[in-house]
Amino acid sequence: MSATALPGLRQRTSSAPVVRRRRLGPGKPIRFGAAIGPVLLLVIWSVGSATGWIDQRVLSAPWTVVTTAGDLIADGRLQSNLWTSAQRALIGLALGIVLGVVLALISGLSRLGEAVLDGPIQIKRAIPSLALLPLLILWLGIGESMKIVTILLGVFVPIYIHTHNGLRTIDSRYVELAQTVGLSQWEFIRRVVLPGALPGFLLGLRFAVTGAWLSLVVVEQINSTSGIGYMMELARTYGQTDIIIVGLVVYGILGLLSDAVVRLIQRRALSWRRTLAS
Amino acid sequence: MSRKRLYSALALLALVTGCSGNAAADDAAKLSLDAALPTSVPDGTKIVVGDPATQVALKLSGQLDKVSKFVQFANLSGGPQTTEAFRAHALDLGSVAEIPPIHATWTGLQVKIVASKFRKDPLNHPIYQLGIAPGVSVKTLGDLRGKKIAYSPGQAQGALVLKVLQKAGLTKEDVKLVELPSTGDVYSNALSGKQVDVAPIGGVQIKRYLTKYGKDGATTIPHGIRDDAGHLYGPVESLEDPGKAAAIRAYVAAWGVAQDWIDKHPKEWIQGYYVKDQGLTEADGQWLVDNAGHPDISADWSDAIERQQQTIELLAKETGNKVIQAKDLYDLRFQTVAADAIKGGAK
Repeated sequence: MSATALPGLRQRTSSAPVVRRRRLGPGKPIRFGAAIGPVLLLVIWSVGSATGWIDQRVLSAPWTVVTTAGDLIADGRLQSNLWTSAQRALIGLALGIVLGVVLALISGLSRLGEAVLDGPIQIKRAIPSLALLPLLILWLGIGESMKIVTILLGVFVPIYIHTHNGLRTIDSRYVELAQTVGLSQWEFIRRVVLPGALPGFLLGLRFAVTGAWLSLVVVEQINSTSGIGYMMELARTYGQTDIIIVGLVVYGILGLLSDAVVRLIQRRALSWRRTLAS
Repeated sequence: MSRKRLYSALALLALVTGCSGNAAADDAAKLSLDAALPTSVPDGTKIVVGDPATQVALKLSGQLDKVSKFVQFANLSGGPQTTEAFRAHALDLGSVAEIPPIHATWTGLQVKIVASKFRKDPLNHPIYQLGIAPGVSVKTLGDLRGKKIAYSPGQAQGALVLKVLQKAGLTKEDVKLVELPSTGDVYSNALSGKQVDVAPIGGVQIKRYLTKYGKDGATTIPHGIRDDAGHLYGPVESLEDPGKAAAIRAYVAAWGVAQDWIDKHPKEWIQGYYVKDQGLTEADGQWLVDNAGHPDISADWSDAIERQQQTIELLAKETGNKVIQAKDLYDLRFQTVAADAIKGGAK
């Protein structure tokens, strides 16, 4: 493009023999690209705190958060709370994955199953798990089972939706092939359905892992004596903003890490795919 | 084949979404509410108690094994959480202030107060102060006219606001009440963000609010009203169960001794509860202990009932609920239990 080109005038293409094609894909991956966004956030936060543009009382400075986290680690509060939270989240997640996959299989492979299950699950999807909490307390009391079930309910829906969708979009050629070679129902599920639904399942899992951490903060405000959510709620009662932000940062890191793990699994498990992203 | 799998999955779903109502139907003979309290706790009795601070006090004073056989602690307290747990039949005793028993009754839940604690010299040791937002000039209660005040119906803080207005000779029309539940640090944040001009704040929030925003002009003023009531209360259905009633009686006695222990061992209490259990600094703990003064656990509830009656009448007028009798909220069979236990030392 020359700067003096008049509008409406067609550019004369240079008479180079090689015609360069425009790239339509995003191109080569940037090294450590995943870290750029979070690091940029951290830089803005630090600079803002150092210049006083961010009020310390409204948002503690990153170094305050680090020293507070150091204190919490020193007296063991952070680790023990983190451990409790992690246990709850993982149990809820594991149960939610099993439930989500089983329901997706039933509803994906049988018309009756779909007729019975799909509607209620879509209804459940429209109801926030946290709004169900008062009912769950009435049904399950205030113990650990109520907390696990709340997490489970938040987790199984994305797993179900994405697995079901992945399963339904399996190419019919594979189904025909399976019938031709005479696979049994179970073999068909193991060799065709599960691998075929895997991309969908893993996408659902990405939603589910962060969802599990999200539900924690709310369930841990009820009859808990430990957990990150409990630690934050206690800090709220006493106006300890820095501890609240430590909790938020921990949640952020946990979410980022668990998402990274799932993406790693995705890359490994789906290495056979040739897509835009590769 | 797939039909079978479907049924088993549906069964799993039903199991998970838990239609497992945990209403433990007691077939035991009901204990009437005017029968004498049984004094021995039968084996196998279990009560769930939401009184976290006393739990720590019992642990610190080495009294926990006196009650651990029949008490299971739950970490909840305060009106909203305890009434919710009562409805779920998941709790037998809760630790609250003056308003929740009244509110529970108004919402159709039958509850009784079984222990009461006040403060000596209550006007100089209030639980709450009126926090004033930075840049707002309120020096006396009369200055409240025309101000935006945080108001939380159903909580002690809400009733306190109504009492303050009554004392200042103002009506709800003279001020602007902003409905806002008081949980965690909501009120001090609303003040510092100038969302409201005045809000009652309690405990460490007072100290934090002044140290954080004092330089911006944040202040607090005393309200000069008694706000020191603290109760243990439970659902009537628990008191009608003879085993549970005996266990509640034993717990109230231990509770009394524990409150007395807290008063006599401030150092251990600050270290063991405020620092270790609640994650506060020693200075915060000291400040709280100094501000709390000394407990007053009386064997005569008539004054307390009278004060509660005044609160009920004020609240009923402002919220449109019907007036109930304060003496019906108290289970007078427990009137002397805590005080006697303190006098007799740990039995």
